[in-house]
Amino acid sequence: MATEQLKLRELAKKEVLITSGHRLCAGCGAPIIAKMVLLAAADYPVVACSPTGCLEVSTCISDYTAWKVPWIHSAFENAGATLSGVETMYRALKKKGKIDKEVKFIAIGGDGGTYDIGLQSLSGAMERGHDLLYVCYDNGAYMNTGIQRSSATPLGADTTTSPAGSVIPGKLQRRKDLTRIMAAHNIPYAAQASPSHWSDFIRKVRKALSIKGPKFINVISPCNRGWRSRLDDAIQLSRLAVQTCYWPLYEVEDGVVRVTYKPREKKPIEEFLKPQGRFKHLFTPENEWIVKRFQEDVDREWERLQKEESLYT
Amino acid sequence: MRFYGGKAPVNKILMKGNEAFGEGAIRAGCRFFFGYPITPQSELPHYLAWRLPEVGGLYLQAESEIAAINMVYGAAAAGVRVMTSSSSPGISLMMEGISYIACAELPCVIVNIMRGGPGLGNIAPSQADYFQAVKGGGHGDYRLLVLAPASVQEVLDLVGLAFDLADKYRNPVMVVGDGILGQMMEAVELGPAPEVKLPPKPWATTGTAGRKTRNIINSLYIEPEELEKVNLRLQAKYRQMAEEEKRWEDYRMEDAELVLAAFGMVARIAKAVVDRLRAEGIPAGLVRPITLYPFPDGAFERAAGKARAFLTVEMNAGQMVEDVRLAVCGRRPVYFYGRTGGMLTTVAEVAARAREIWEGLK
Repeated sequence: MATEQLKLRELAKKEVLITSGHRLCAGCGAPIIAKMVLLAAADYPVVACSPTGCLEVSTCISDYTAWKVPWIHSAFENAGATLSGVETMYRALKKKGKIDKEVKFIAIGGDGGTYDIGLQSLSGAMERGHDLLYVCYDNGAYMNTGIQRSSATPLGADTTTSPAGSVIPGKLQRRKDLTRIMAAHNIPYAAQASPSHWSDFIRKVRKALSIKGPKFINVISPCNRGWRSRLDDAIQLSRLAVQTCYWPLYEVEDGVVRVTYKPREKKPIEEFLKPQGRFKHLFTPENEWIVKRFQEDVDREWERLQKEESLYT
Repeated sequence: MRFYGGKAPVNKILMKGNEAFGEGAIRAGCRFFFGYPITPQSELPHYLAWRLPEVGGLYLQAESEIAAINMVYGAAAAGVRVMTSSSSPGISLMMEGISYIACAELPCVIVNIMRGGPGLGNIAPSQADYFQAVKGGGHGDYRLLVLAPASVQEVLDLVGLAFDLADKYRNPVMVVGDGILGQMMEAVELGPAPEVKLPPKPWATTGTAGRKTRNIINSLYIEPEELEKVNLRLQAKYRQMAEEEKRWEDYRMEDAELVLAAFGMVARIAKAVVDRLRAEGIPAGLVRPITLYPFPDGAFERAAGKARAFLTVEMNAGQMVEDVRLAVCGRRPVYFYGRTGGMLTTVAEVAARAREIWEGLK
């Protein structure tokens, strides 16, 4: 069964379906995530789709492609729609008996193309019930076009279009909770994952692929350019995101909430914020309130999640 | 970078084209900008994101270009000077909103820093959105006023003009540049900030205080008779634009027999071509349309008197050349040279084509 836990030794035997040599930045979280998703899906024939974004633009430079699976690029706002079309065609061919393979359809898009401009087509795909998995690699800004804020950008972050200055201390709004919005579509499976907890992440992808219907997984994806962090910090930062409960690991299966990882000791949010240059202006007396509010938001959401989970246990 | 105002000891500063669009808008009294990221125009929203709050303005990043243009619609209806910017694919997404704004007769400025297309294309410079800009672009019988600056200095100047024309005609104005103009830095003279007198906008929806009747801003006219009237009014407005607003630059046109036509950055290349041809004894000249709509057809009609042939140079597969042909109306042959996909036309290439044409005329 595809949902069985895969051991590292077995994973190492699988073919990596996204090649090295792509043009993503050194230390980027996105190719790690794409690689893990494809590793988890290695037992199936896969058709992938990406909207415009870092991953798309860097994996298909002119005549080259880093994808070893059939892959279709679509305009920024349309991954949900395009993959809906592909999946519909597949069902039609299957009905006519022209194809008998059990193909899996996976979209991988960034937060700009998923939370913002692509939300409409994603929501449509989820509501219509297409048999596909949408994975968002959430690096919290439009990194491809020069680090502009998105609705996934956390409170207080300094970006080129929410610049931190003496009057305005970076982004004034909280990030949108897209995982909950997707779960609210009452789809069979929605989850949040992190590349730092690879075993949990891969289990979630395999579980999602074993379920018929629309699935959504949101994955935190550190970006050293936009987060102004060290080049070798991607996994460490995604781990801190989980350990501070900024990015709780959980899944919602048929409406049942389950937290899949509970940190033994919840770390203060500063540990996640401090290594990132985009938050460095927050550590001044006049901006203390933002860190405080950040912590309150994290605490409240973590509380809520645990309460929701307790309803089902 | 920080802005140095008119009081600064230096009156010349180095500025990026995209930033000049932003600063030009502020100097024109624009305090509202709604944008969305796309290369190669992103420095424009970056600039306004910090610069607008400094002057008490508002920068807002929308969730898509569709949202951005409809925010412009809302702000323009309230009677303020408002701008948005994007690059080719993003402008395509805005087309529905632009058509609504044109029908509702609202003034606003839209900047298109064109990039290679079609499709996702690339982020290299292009002029392939000429048709989209000057022929309407969206649905229905409407026109934008379209301006095409050819230097960072001219960006500053024309953005101001764009706001004035938008208000004068209650019509959206598009200012088109390309990836080169947006990205390159040039010395600009800012001079003291001009005093902006915003014209009264009695049509704006600002509440009925002091008025008995309500202002209605609308682009929906169910009755065909009504909608035809609206269309006739729009057409009359476009005719007035054609009478009053054609702008162009003549370069070495006094005795030109081989007339080049080019707009925007390509016109700079074309000027160098004219100089080179003149040095070789070929009497070349250049007509550079500054307004792409209304198209300065008079300049070409006049040039056709002395000219023996025209050569239109564009960074596309041949778009403005159709308007040049319409203006010349078969009196002289009109040739075309262009590069696409973000490739630049070089002086050597264009000069070679021009020589070929000149030889053929002998």
